[in-house]
Amino acid sequence: MRRRRVRAIVLTWLGFCGAAALADESVVNSKHDLSVRGPGPIRAVQETEVCVFCHTPHNAAPQTPLWNRENPRTHYRIYESSTTDARIDQPSGPSKMCLSCHDGSMALGNVLSRPASEPIVMTARTIPPGHADLTNDLSDDHPIGFRYDRALSNVDRQIRAPELVTRDLPLGVHGEMHCTTCHDPHNDELGDFLRISDRMSAICVTCHDMNGWRHASHATSQKRTVNRVVDPTERLKYQTVSDNGCLNCHKIHSAREHERLLRARREENNCLNCHNGSVANFNIAAEIGKRSAHAGRFRTGVHDPAEIPFSMRRHVECVDCHNPHAVAPDPFGVVQGTFGRTVKGPNLHVRGVTSTGRETDDAKFLNEVCYKCHGDGARRRRLNTSRQVSQTNVRLEFQLSNPSYHPVDGPRRNNDVVSLIAPLRVGSTIGCIDCHNSDNARAAGGSGANGPHGSIYRPLLIRNYERADFTVESADAYALCYGCHSRQSILNNESFSRHQRHIVDIRTPCSVCHDPHGVYRGQGNSVNHSSLINFDLSVVMPADTPSGRRIAHEDTGRFSGTCTLTCHGFSHINFPYSNPAAGGAASRVRAASRGIGR
Amino acid sequence: MTNVRHIVVTIALCSLALAGWAWAGIEGSKHDFANESWSDGDACGACHTPHTPEPPQAAPLWDADADLNRTFGTSLSGDARPGNGTLICIRCHDGTIARDTISGQAKERFRNKQHPGLFQSGHQTSDHPVGIRYPDIDDKFHPASTVIAKGAVLLPDGRVECTSCHDPHNQAGEKSMLVTSNARSSLCLTCHKK
Repeated sequence: MRRRRVRAIVLTWLGFCGAAALADESVVNSKHDLSVRGPGPIRAVQETEVCVFCHTPHNAAPQTPLWNRENPRTHYRIYESSTTDARIDQPSGPSKMCLSCHDGSMALGNVLSRPASEPIVMTARTIPPGHADLTNDLSDDHPIGFRYDRALSNVDRQIRAPELVTRDLPLGVHGEMHCTTCHDPHNDELGDFLRISDRMSAICVTCHDMNGWRHASHATSQKRTVNRVVDPTERLKYQTVSDNGCLNCHKIHSAREHERLLRARREENNCLNCHNGSVANFNIAAEIGKRSAHAGRFRTGVHDPAEIPFSMRRHVECVDCHNPHAVAPDPFGVVQGTFGRTVKGPNLHVRGVTSTGRETDDAKFLNEVCYKCHGDGARRRRLNTSRQVSQTNVRLEFQLSNPSYHPVDGPRRNNDVVSLIAPLRVGSTIGCIDCHNSDNARAAGGSGANGPHGSIYRPLLIRNYERADFTVESADAYALCYGCHSRQSILNNESFSRHQRHIVDIRTPCSVCHDPHGVYRGQGNSVNHSSLINFDLSVVMPADTPSGRRIAHEDTGRFSGTCTLTCHGFSHINFPYSNPAAGGAASRVRAASRGIGR
Repeated sequence: MTNVRHIVVTIALCSLALAGWAWAGIEGSKHDFANESWSDGDACGACHTPHTPEPPQAAPLWDADADLNRTFGTSLSGDARPGNGTLICIRCHDGTIARDTISGQAKERFRNKQHPGLFQSGHQTSDHPVGIRYPDIDDKFHPASTVIAKGAVLLPDGRVECTSCHDPHNQAGEKSMLVTSNARSSLCLTCHKK
């Protein structure tokens, strides 16, 4: 008798152990265990069977896994996106089975094996509103009901071929995606009944092969996400950026921004969630709030990844310049010219427009990203200064065939730039962001992020750049120019022999004579517009000459030329200049005509 | 007085419940045909006959009329070959064959009126497959040895038959004449790894 009792105790104990060991990977004791002993708040009042809520051995619905429920008759709103190549249809097959509970329309206890009048009595009639209730609006959920086949993966290069996927994630009989592709309703071992863990987005990257994702910051950063401040209600599943992966920005079900399943409606908030000083290194939210900024917050719902640069409406979002699937840190963060002008980590795999005006999905050079809007596109350059020749298309201003240009598209042929500060030299290239950058960027010696996010200096300049006439010369007044062009060299008249006189004595800013971008070949020639000469017409007036009133600069050789104009009330008519140190011929001409000038 | 009446009623109810719960065996079950008009008081005659069985249905003295060479489609497996443990049940429960031929006397159609689809026309797409070989190597199922070792579910000839889950003699006294209790779906989970 006693032995039997001992045996019974041992067997019971073993049974408990067995049950505990099974619990994790079994539907029993998972959230899908709706029996009276199920673990969740939603369960039966009396029913002890576990399988019966979905399956029955006899008289099942005519679907393979002996389905014990009626299909919902709901018509679903399905996922739509401008960038998807999949043909998404109403859910079918196993997905409908899931939705028979998870769309919230049908009673949980309504099963085919019971008469409709006597459903299984549950603690809740239907699935209560919440994250498990997908509702009949599936446009905020990952799409299902589309065929995941070679035709799709051939068109969308960021999706793997289906045969690489199906071993782990089963597709439907026609190769279509279902709920059951990602979820195994019987196994909650990994949480959310996932077939592959979503840690480090393992389940997402099984199908999605985003360009550059493997080395992207968002896939590798060990920064902790627990300090996110913009949206503290949205708890992330894991602790670090890397572990959360796609989930940092995307929500697979019930996403607030339906298209592309983003967490935040406002595009920039998906980024600023972390890039406001709470998680990421730099506080970009503060940068784009500055006086002159690429302020994404002013436009919502305009940006579309499928937009055409030449016809899109004016806007700017973080994702216009950054590809969040490929962004990586830029370890250098100094003047671009030193390390070439190819795109660095933060701008990898971003769309752009090349210097020839051709659209590209993968900008090779950073200026191509800028040309997308500031070239032929929506956001033409605002003309801060009215000049002899004006051009709003920045792409054309930097053409290598122009009479003069800052070396953004490529090195200059001119070797007269003697003021350059090493490591820049004649033949170096610079990037747009060498001038247009945040005022406290690392490149400017500050502590902020590099890049034209926002600056206190207009138009989004890295350093101060005075354009007002009669500005008193100082290292700060023209700090932008002096960043590359040695102030000492300029004021010592090493190139133009009258620099000191114009800048210091007469207090003329650099911008009065020089156009910082360049002069398009279609508008100027190398005689009149060498050395970025393009006069500011608010300061420079025409001069009365025998041949009429005109403004003209003529290049007559290295560091020498003549000017015909009126400036600060002083008239120059064929006023020559040259640099004696360079042995220019014009110095002798000027000496002979000293009486005309001052 | 009221108390005494309460106690009596409670005891009576308890014993009834206990009796209901503990009722096992074919006697009094739905398979007890002794009181049917066609049975002449013979509870076993619907399935068994003591004298006339011939091969191949000899083993448990099957009734000679049973058509045990029948084939029909099943929902899952192409190699379904229902054995005696299935065919003898379907003989009555499909509602198509032998429904009037039990001992040649019954006028009653043994067709499931509540669920006309049951086994109808041999299409089993809405029922658990029978006659299939137990998928021993499929990792979605427990190994056959484990199933057999548990003692409840039978796999005659290594196949799943009606008698794998149902005991027509109702030895366990479970609902639907199951071979063992299905509380917590334990019967389903004997084979299915879910």
